[in-house]
Amino acid sequence: MTSGGQDPREPRAPQGAGAEPLSKRAAIGAAGGLVLAAAAFGVLSMTAPPESSSENARGGPTLALLAAPAPSAPMPRAWWDAYAAEPAQAPTTASKSAAPSRKLAILALKAAVVGPEGRDVVDDAVVLVSDGKIEAIGPRASTAIPAGYEVLDRSDKWITPGFVDLHCHIAGKSFLVNDINDMVYLTNPELRASSVVEPDNPNLRRAIGGGVTSVLFIPGSGTNMGGQGVLLKTGLEHFEEMRIRDPGSLKLAQAGNPERWAINPGRSFMNWNTRNTFARGLTHAKLRKADPKLPRNIQWDVFGPLADKTTQVSTHTQIYQVVLMTLTMVRQGFGLDVYIDHGEWFGSKLAGIAQEIGAGAIIGPREIDRFTPGFSIDTDGQIQGIAAQYQKNGHKEIGFNTDSPVIPQEELHVQAATACRFGFDGTRMDALRGLTIVPAKTAGIAGRVGSLAPGKDADLLVCDGDPVDPRTTIEAVFIEGRSVYDMRTEERRW
Amino acid sequence: MISTNRIERFVVGALLALLAFPVTGHAWQEGDEKKDESADKKKEEPDKWFVVKNAEIHTGTGSVLRDAMLVAKNGKIDEIGHDLDVPPDAKVLDAQGLRVYPGLVAISSAGLVGQATSDFGDTVNPFNSNMILGLATGITTTGIGNAAVKLKRFSIKDLVVRDRIFSVFSWSARNPSGKRSLREKFQSASAYLRDYRAWEEKVKKDKELKEPQKKNVDTTVLAVLKGESTAKFNANERDDLLGIAHLAQEFGFRPVIEGCVEGWTVADELGRAGAMAIVTPRDRRPKDEALVRDGGSSIENAAILHRSGVAVAVVPGTESVDLGGLVGRDIMHLPIEAGFAIRGGLPEDAGLASITTTSARILGVQHRVGSLEVGKDCDLIVVDKDLLHYEAFVQWTVIDGKVVYDKQKELYFAHIRPRADAPAEPKKLDKGETEPKPDADKPKEGEEPKDGEKKGDEKKNGEGDGEKKGG
Repeated sequence: MTSGGQDPREPRAPQGAGAEPLSKRAAIGAAGGLVLAAAAFGVLSMTAPPESSSENARGGPTLALLAAPAPSAPMPRAWWDAYAAEPAQAPTTASKSAAPSRKLAILALKAAVVGPEGRDVVDDAVVLVSDGKIEAIGPRASTAIPAGYEVLDRSDKWITPGFVDLHCHIAGKSFLVNDINDMVYLTNPELRASSVVEPDNPNLRRAIGGGVTSVLFIPGSGTNMGGQGVLLKTGLEHFEEMRIRDPGSLKLAQAGNPERWAINPGRSFMNWNTRNTFARGLTHAKLRKADPKLPRNIQWDVFGPLADKTTQVSTHTQIYQVVLMTLTMVRQGFGLDVYIDHGEWFGSKLAGIAQEIGAGAIIGPREIDRFTPGFSIDTDGQIQGIAAQYQKNGHKEIGFNTDSPVIPQEELHVQAATACRFGFDGTRMDALRGLTIVPAKTAGIAGRVGSLAPGKDADLLVCDGDPVDPRTTIEAVFIEGRSVYDMRTEERRW
Repeated sequence: MISTNRIERFVVGALLALLAFPVTGHAWQEGDEKKDESADKKKEEPDKWFVVKNAEIHTGTGSVLRDAMLVAKNGKIDEIGHDLDVPPDAKVLDAQGLRVYPGLVAISSAGLVGQATSDFGDTVNPFNSNMILGLATGITTTGIGNAAVKLKRFSIKDLVVRDRIFSVFSWSARNPSGKRSLREKFQSASAYLRDYRAWEEKVKKDKELKEPQKKNVDTTVLAVLKGESTAKFNANERDDLLGIAHLAQEFGFRPVIEGCVEGWTVADELGRAGAMAIVTPRDRRPKDEALVRDGGSSIENAAILHRSGVAVAVVPGTESVDLGGLVGRDIMHLPIEAGFAIRGGLPEDAGLASITTTSARILGVQHRVGSLEVGKDCDLIVVDKDLLHYEAFVQWTVIDGKVVYDKQKELYFAHIRPRADAPAEPKKLDKGETEPKPDADKPKEGEEPKDGEKKGDEKKNGEGDGEKKGG
């Protein structure tokens, strides 16, 4: 425990060459934990909506102490909040070790999920990439390719943004090594998945072959709060390069799995305990924001960014009973950004409410439901598509997840395909959007990934058709403008 | 036209008799033949005709006939073509805008005909809900245990197409003595067979000559060498696959290899051995990094095997219907699994074959099912789009010229993208709304009882409204 505003959290970057942008980023992270708690925030007034944190003072004495450059604009927020106002920019990414700054012009038959909302398609497209970002995208006829750009002619292929999976457990050592499911307490908001990332994980290697370029690597669901997830790029070599945002989320899990914890707690106790943890953590964040000299309790670190809405609660939630708790307690009660993750079964009955109050819905890996005692309500045996039910009940932004390694990471697209099979209307590109822009918006990283728009990271898939279709081959993958996979020059991954 | 039909029927009948002959040891088969003979005698019973019209017919043999017709007589395909005559009493299925494919042949499955694992004739449950889901997937024939079985709904008659198909052997580097003893069995059985064949020739002249001793000859191996059953191995590793290929070439039989995960690394050898493979394209097996050579699973496995001449059938990772589990991997996603083989480079037609003709061939039932050809069983599915597309839903399943599954009349999927000709929600009928019906079922104009019913319904509704208002 430290005092006097001295933040013991070291910048995550190694000291040394090329560390300057990293320390800059670390300063933002530190700011999340420390300074951003300055705005007024009604933690314990369960009904009062939280005040906007737009007036958050960024900078201040703490930053001066860290002697880091002033942070750039705040991370974009979740889609339901203020997406329209969200600038398509992001903190400067870490320096790319030994990666030449390539300027690429990629020609494609079709570019899908184009524009900030990812609703557009460009035929006979050209995508200009420079410094790892998409510089421009448009029809070939009207887009000039400037001199000095390397032209990649893939004009018989599709180009789409890389997929985003908001529920995975594979970036650690192995699912068999317990590095992400430390069931110490019933709520462990202090644990961090970012502490166990293994960049060379073969599952991540293979994920790239399946088009997955961004993942939320989260703790398991053995307790109500497994810890903090981390948003990562799959194909880069070092953790610092991979990291999109840390904390990526606070992982919440309800019913089911946590009931097996030490004393077999029941659901009403778990709800109280979860509520209690939120209340204590958010109080701590509020008090420290008001008075940064208060001693820091690292157990409550994550509640700073949560209160500030620079990160979200990702809830492993399934049935009606606990989806309702997610919505009423976390979203309406504490006013936090929360989304339904690992959405399954008849939680879909609450889709309309979730849409209304701005809670995202990420569905998978069970895409169908029929009557199961204890899990389902009011079905007479019909086989229902869960994403279809969410859609039917009024949710407008539905994404998909794998829960890998339960479902292999590279099969993320199968979740969208089976959703369509069982009634999800994917005619307006919503299946492909559910793999890309929707999860990106849900996790608040749409300023960097999720669609093809100028200013976003050049995370691109080159494929021979609609990548939702299992028959489609993903032939090449670029992450931040770098070629991380090319089927023609290396062993086929998937 | 009629005369050619007759000739075709004669040829097919003869073919069927020939093909059925090697396995006549079983009661069901004998019954089948007897029935055929008796059917010829019973001239008084009228022929049952079934017709699909206006369809895009994918025969499964590579050809596609647009706006075509298929005519079946007594459960067998009689004619496929354009502008055929429809017999007056035929049941007609209008497949306007839809595609017709052969019924799928699942090379193996579990639970589709009930809990039975053998003796299907006695233990089948023809009202099993998994059977309906199998039919909804488009599966009309499946390998279960060691038999090929038709999903004959509502009936337990003529269920088994072929029994005792495989002789299952083990060949594994982990069991060297097992490998040695299997080789010895093949050697002794092979020697015996050679002696026996020689004796067969000689005994014609010298009737006193003694038959060679069958002592210590493995009857299962002998059945394989005689072509009475098919040798099946479950093997994945390269060394094992090579061993099986060499064994097969040495003793002259065509092995079926289930699993075959590293088959792509020895595809040429497997092709030369005439091997047939049952693969799951999504199988994951890490490469043994201690070895320099290729290894582990590859999404290209099916494609590489196919290019090397290995007949490839596809089976999903989970062979049963799995509704509570993780979607997209069970037997209900057989076409999607074939889609993954296509992802790996298998041509689309071979992808379709991997769940129809090739699996029928491996099961040894290709003379009856697997493709739409004159003389074969009229087992077909009517699908709303490309069968291998992930959104495709089977609308009707037909077995032996009878509709056994209609998506709009079953509970499970009727609500998903309902067909135009069927009511989306049966509840609406209670309110006295008119039901859009297929032409065949429509009542003739001026039919009184129907009108009367309608009026009655309206009255009832009126009364109901009145009561509500009054309350």
